[in-house]
Amino acid sequence: MASRNKQIQQLSRQYFRLSFVDGAITPERVGGVLEYMEKHRPAHAAAILKAYHRLVAAEIARSQAIVEHAGSISAGAIDAIASSMTRKYGRTVTAVSRKNDTLLAGIRVRVGDDTYESSVASQLATLAASV
Amino acid sequence: MSTVLDQIEQQIARLSSKAVKKNTGHIRSIADGVAKIDGLSDVMYNEMVQFPGGAIGIALNLEEDEVGCVILGDISQLKEGDEVQTTGRLLSVPVGKALLGRVVDALGNPVDGKGPIAANETNPVEKIAPGIIVRKSVSQPLLTGIMAIDSMIPIGRGQRELIIGDRGTGKTTITIDTIINQAKINKVGLASGDPKFRPVYSIYVAIGQKNSNIVRTMAALESAGALEYTIIVAAPAADNPANQYLAPYSGAAMGEWFMENGMDALIVYDDLSKHAVAYRQISLVLKRPSGREAYPGDVFYLHSRLLERAARLDGKGSLTALPIIETLAGDVSAYIPTNVISITDGQIFLETDLFNQGIRPAVSVGLSVSRVGSSAQIKATKQVGGKLKGELAQFRELAAFAQFGSDLDAKTKAQLERGGRIVELFKQPAFNPIPIELQVAVLWAMQKNYFDPIETKKIVAAASSMKEFFTTRKDALLTKIRSKAALDADLESELKTACDEWKTTFTV
Repeated sequence: MASRNKQIQQLSRQYFRLSFVDGAITPERVGGVLEYMEKHRPAHAAAILKAYHRLVAAEIARSQAIVEHAGSISAGAIDAIASSMTRKYGRTVTAVSRKNDTLLAGIRVRVGDDTYESSVASQLATLAASV
Repeated sequence: MSTVLDQIEQQIARLSSKAVKKNTGHIRSIADGVAKIDGLSDVMYNEMVQFPGGAIGIALNLEEDEVGCVILGDISQLKEGDEVQTTGRLLSVPVGKALLGRVVDALGNPVDGKGPIAANETNPVEKIAPGIIVRKSVSQPLLTGIMAIDSMIPIGRGQRELIIGDRGTGKTTITIDTIINQAKINKVGLASGDPKFRPVYSIYVAIGQKNSNIVRTMAALESAGALEYTIIVAAPAADNPANQYLAPYSGAAMGEWFMENGMDALIVYDDLSKHAVAYRQISLVLKRPSGREAYPGDVFYLHSRLLERAARLDGKGSLTALPIIETLAGDVSAYIPTNVISITDGQIFLETDLFNQGIRPAVSVGLSVSRVGSSAQIKATKQVGGKLKGELAQFRELAAFAQFGSDLDAKTKAQLERGGRIVELFKQPAFNPIPIELQVAVLWAMQKNYFDPIETKKIVAAASSMKEFFTTRKDALLTKIRSKAALDADLESELKTACDEWKTTFTV
């Protein structure tokens, strides 16, 4: 069981490394990897694909800022966030906007594992926790 | 003026709307109190992580693309995909005198129903042990109140003395006796108003024990008036392994507070065998490679880093550790016993055979040792008990040899009889520690052959009669022995007079 998991991890990481061109994941390379896997189907293909998916998703999340907002937000603000994150992380970060009414007011920006929270909902949660 | 207020309010508004950065992850899988988490790229080893619903976890496994966390608290509400965030803090527990007399769990939360604890300070559970420079050699005694130990295997403040033996040999009883004795000494010392007196506070860490046993220990301490100087850290068998793993470190953090603040403390780990088992369970669920007896590779470090925290600090206080190890069929060469024997400064070995013969405490003199030696004894004890260990070892050897032959010379017979008397003299009921001055008086009487005319089987009765005689009628003499801590010619002549007087009162 342990060696099987190790094989899955190793192979998925190998495919993951092959998906990069100039330090960035490209759809062409990912397509190529998937095509190769289809032709030469490895043992435990589903598990390898899941692990590969997780790695690619984590990498994409690192170069994408998801901007959640309760009210409206201008395109200029989204661009400003993208350029600010690009400067901060030293890699190209694109911004995607998503409406989230549970925030009540303010915004939340997610880049990979990092979350920048400036919403009323989070402040209320902090207040509730401190009472 | 309103403009000024507006300015300040705007400034507050700007500050309060400042974005807060969090490092987050998501639960990938959760089972057996251990969660595998995706993300948490900034998490540090041993860092506290926050789960939804107030549960907290500790990051123990940092892997390339996942983090393994043990969860402390209720895990029934957690599910796959839940968001987890780092806290940037190490796990801390409340410390200070407010905890004395209380029973707390591994996180320092009260579990005795006596309300919240008003502790102002917290200390990290994991802390690097004091280094070489700040330490001082062990030279002050920590009196257990058990005659066999105080006279032959002395324990010093800042020492680590292992108590090892099979189940039901009286390991816990020795530690409870020691705690009770500290409380008795504290009461006498604090009442005397001596500015040089240093009380010893106790911490009893119960790991993987039955709740009924913990209640019994608590009741024994309470009835002896020792609970007010004691903190009980309880991680019972029903607790999850993460809490059982953490409990000794939490206890050590509480003990270190006393040490760092110029006080003396005693910590009992009851027991480290169950602690190792809890850690093995966590490690196997975390899929760490297993080694001998399926324990992980760092099981030695698990105990060495814990026991190294016991020390005597130069210019500060001390923390004495009494770890307990339970052996199986007296096998001291098993993995965990040998590890802990090599870490500690000596061991008190308790034998099942002795226990079944009615010799209680069942201390095996031959296998027990204190590496600190007589430097942790008061002079009076050295004077009366210096040769006891040798005499008793010689007796055991002769007794074994005498089984094969009936014709023994007079000298051997005398030695055997004397050895038998010493063994009887060291018998002591549970939860009844003897003050050191009384120990000195009884051992002096034994040394001066006052017990020789008495039949061996009546030695226990004679010894208790002598103790009663000294306690009720020679209190002034006992106080003198306690304050002088050494026997001079005057004291010896007073002891002689008292013993002669007792001899006339005691009828065989």
